[in-house]
Amino acid sequence: MKRQIITLILLAALLLAGGGAMLASNHIVSMSERRKLAQWPSLRWQAVLTGSFRDEAEKAASDQFPFRDSFRRLKAYVQFGLLGQRDNNGIYVVHGTASKLEYPLREHAVERAAEKFQAIWETYLSESDVKCYYSIIPDKNYFLAQQNGYPAMDYDKLRQIMADGLPNFTYLNLFDSLSIEDYYTTDPHWRQERLQPVVQVLTDGLGVPFSWDYTKQTIEPFYGAYYGQSALPLQPDQLVYLTSRSMDACSVYNLETDSYGGIYDLEKGAGRDPYELYLSGAAAFQVIVNPNAQTQRELVVFRDSFGSSLIPLLADSYQKITLVDLRYISSSLLSQYLDFQQQDVLLLYSTLILNNSTALK
Amino acid sequence: MVFSSLIFLYAFLPCTLLLYFLTPKSGKNLVLLAASLVFYAWGEPRYLILIVVSILLGYGFGLAIEHFRGRRSARIFLVLSVVTSIGILACFKYADFFLETINGLLGAKLPLWKLALPIGISFYTFQILSYTIDLYRGTAAVQRNVLDFATYVVLFPQLIAGPIVRYREIALELRSRKHDIATACAGAERFVLGLGKKVLLANHLGLLCQAYRATAEPSVLYAWLYAISFALQIYFDFSGYSDMAIGLGGILGFHFPENFRYPYIAASITEFWRRWHISLSSWFRDYVYIPLGGNRVSKPRWMWNILVVWGLTGLWHGAGWNFLAWGLLFALLLIGEKLLWKRPLERHPWFGHFYVIFWVILSFVLFNAESFLQAAADLGALFGAGGLPLRSLEGLYMLRSNLILLLLAGIGATPLPKLLFQRVQATQVGIRALSVIQPLAIAALLLLSTAYLVDGSFNPFLYFRF
Repeated sequence: MKRQIITLILLAALLLAGGGAMLASNHIVSMSERRKLAQWPSLRWQAVLTGSFRDEAEKAASDQFPFRDSFRRLKAYVQFGLLGQRDNNGIYVVHGTASKLEYPLREHAVERAAEKFQAIWETYLSESDVKCYYSIIPDKNYFLAQQNGYPAMDYDKLRQIMADGLPNFTYLNLFDSLSIEDYYTTDPHWRQERLQPVVQVLTDGLGVPFSWDYTKQTIEPFYGAYYGQSALPLQPDQLVYLTSRSMDACSVYNLETDSYGGIYDLEKGAGRDPYELYLSGAAAFQVIVNPNAQTQRELVVFRDSFGSSLIPLLADSYQKITLVDLRYISSSLLSQYLDFQQQDVLLLYSTLILNNSTALK
Repeated sequence: MVFSSLIFLYAFLPCTLLLYFLTPKSGKNLVLLAASLVFYAWGEPRYLILIVVSILLGYGFGLAIEHFRGRRSARIFLVLSVVTSIGILACFKYADFFLETINGLLGAKLPLWKLALPIGISFYTFQILSYTIDLYRGTAAVQRNVLDFATYVVLFPQLIAGPIVRYREIALELRSRKHDIATACAGAERFVLGLGKKVLLANHLGLLCQAYRATAEPSVLYAWLYAISFALQIYFDFSGYSDMAIGLGGILGFHFPENFRYPYIAASITEFWRRWHISLSSWFRDYVYIPLGGNRVSKPRWMWNILVVWGLTGLWHGAGWNFLAWGLLFALLLIGEKLLWKRPLERHPWFGHFYVIFWVILSFVLFNAESFLQAAADLGALFGAGGLPLRSLEGLYMLRSNLILLLLAGIGATPLPKLLFQRVQATQVGIRALSVIQPLAIAALLLLSTAYLVDGSFNPFLYFRF
C-alpha cells in the first residue's frame, strides 16, 4: 500500500507541477535552438472549429514545457547512450564535431539550381562582357559522413550535374582546399580564419591579387546551430573574425534596410546567432565598397550564408563587391539593382543549398 | 486529443482527475461526460454533432427495443439501429471507396463526397451496436438515463482507439463503481507503461518506417527492416494505447477488457487472433460470425462465413482494397489451418511461431500500403523483385542505428519482461526492492516519455482510418 501511495503521489506531483509550469510559461525565445518559441494561442472560435487552435496549442505546449532544454538533453542521452542510435533528429557527432545528415542527393533539386543559374546567365550575362565563375562549398558531411558510416549524398554526382548545367561558367574547385578542421564543431559553417587556401584558389581563379594580412579577433564561447539541435553538452567553439585596416575602411550597404554599416556587426555577434557578426547575417542584396582595394575591379557574388564570412576576405581584391542572396530576392528583379558590365560574376553556394534548391527564388 | 500529447498528460488529465475525484458520486458520470466531449471536440470539433446524434439514436432505439420487447416492433427497431449506425459509418468511411470502385469498374465519373473521417467512428459505432444488439438479445439491460448512456459511448479512455467495450461489460460500473488506491495505482502504472510503449518504442519504429518510405536506396534488407519495424510499431502503438485506455479506466473505476495478449508468441493464426485486438475479433465473432451460423453449418457455408467476417474485419480497418485483401488473407490462412495444416502446427510449435511471424509481417506490409500497387511493390521488395540489391548503405545504417531498439522491441513483445518482473516480485528481497524502485521507475518512465514528446514532432495517430 505504501508503494502504491508513493507512486500515485509522485505521478500526481509530476503531472500537476509540470502542467502548472507549462501553462504559466511564456518564454519568447530559445537561445539554444536559436528560434522563437511558439506562444499560447488566444481562444478564437474559428480557430477551434478548424483545428488550428489545437495545433497551435500543441506546439506551444512543447515549446513552453518547463526545463525544455533539459528534457531534450535527456532524450539525446537516451538516444545515443542507451539505444545506440547514431543520430538524434538527424544530428550526429563524430569526435566532438556535430553535423546534420544530408542525404540522399536530390538530383532534381541540383538540376533546378543549375537551370536557375544558367537562366541568369542567359537573361543578364550572355551579352555582357562579364566573366563567370562558380564554386561549390562542400558541407561537413563531405568530410565526416561516409568515412564514419553515415549515409551521404553523392558529391561527385552533384558536381557533375552542376558542370553539365553551367557550361558558361568556369569552375573553381574548393573541395581540395578544405578539411573538417576548417569548420566549426557546433555549426555548419566554416571558420573564417582557416579560409586562406580557399581565398587563394578564388583569387587565382578570378585573376585578382591575393592578400592575407589580418589580425584575429575572438568571440567566445560560440554555440553554433548544431549545439542546440543536438541537445548535447558539446564543447563550444571559438568564433574568430579577421580584421585589417583595409577592412575597417569598407562600407557595406544593405538594400533591405537602406543603411550602411561595417563588415562586422558586433551587436549581432553578441546575439542569438553570433555567425551573423559577418555582414550582419542574411540579406537579399548588399554592396561592399573598399576605397583601399588593390584593384578597381568589381565582383558580383550569388551566395548563401557561407559567403558572409568568405567574401569580406575578397574585399581587398575588389573595389566593389555586390552580394546577392537568391533565397531572399528573386532573380527576376536583378535588373532593377544590377547593371552587368565588366564585373566578375561568381556563384558561390554550398552543397546544402544546392540539394535543397527550392529555397532559391 | 491523443493520450501521447503534452496537453493531454499535463493539462487535460490532471484537471479531469482532480474534478472527478472531488465530485460526489452522483456527479461523477457528468464530469466524465463533459470531459469526454471536450476530449473529442479538441480533436474533432466539427463532428461533435455527429457523435451526439449517434448517441441519441442508440439511446432512442434502445428505449424502443425495450418498450416493444417480445414484439415484432422490437426487431424492427433493432434493424433500424443497425441500419442507421452502419449507414452513418458507411457514409463517412466507405462512400468514396464505393464511388471510386464504381467509377473504376464502369468508367463513370461520379463525384466523390470527400467527407473527412470522424475520429473514432468505427469504435463508437460498434459500441452502440453492441448495446442495441445485446439489449435485443436480453443480455444487457436498457439504460434509461441518456447521460449515463452518453458517458458509456464517449468515455474518453476508449473513445478513439478502443478497446471496444460492450455496454454490458461496464453497465454495473456505470451505475456504481469503487475507487481504491490499489486499483488506481495499478491503472496509473499501466497507463505510464502504455505511454512508454507508444512514445519510446512505437514512435521510434515509426520513424524508421517513414525513412524507408522516403529512401532513394531501397534494398531487400531495408525492406525487411521496414516490414519488421512496422509490425512492431503497430503492435506497440495499438497495445500501448490499449494499455493507456485500460489504465485510465482502472483509475476511474472501470474494468475494461484486455485487448492484446502477446500476439507475437502465437503458434497459429487462429491463436494470433485470440491475442490481437481481442475486443474487435470477439465483436465480429459474437455479432456477425455466430449469427451467420458460425461453424455449425456445412463446410462450404462455414468457409463463406469466415470470408465474410474477415473481409468485414479488413474493411473495418480501412476503406481500401488492400485492407480487404488483408482481411481475406487471414481468412484463407484460418481456413487452411482448420482444414489442412492444423496438425503439423500443433506438432511443431516452433515452426508455428515462425509461420505466424512470417505471415503477420507480410500482412502488415499489405495493410500499410497506400494502394494495391504500392503493396505489390513493397511485398516484391522483400524478395528482391525488380533486381533490388540485397543491401544498401542507408539500409545498413538504419539497421546499425536501430539494432538495440529493435531488440528491445522484440523482447518487449514477449511475456519475458513480465515473467522476470513476477519472479522478482515473488521474493522477499524483490518485494522490498520494488517498493522503492517501482515508483521511481514509473516516474522515470513518465519523465522519459515527456522528454521524447517535448523534443519530438513525430507522434502519429495510426487509427485515423478506423
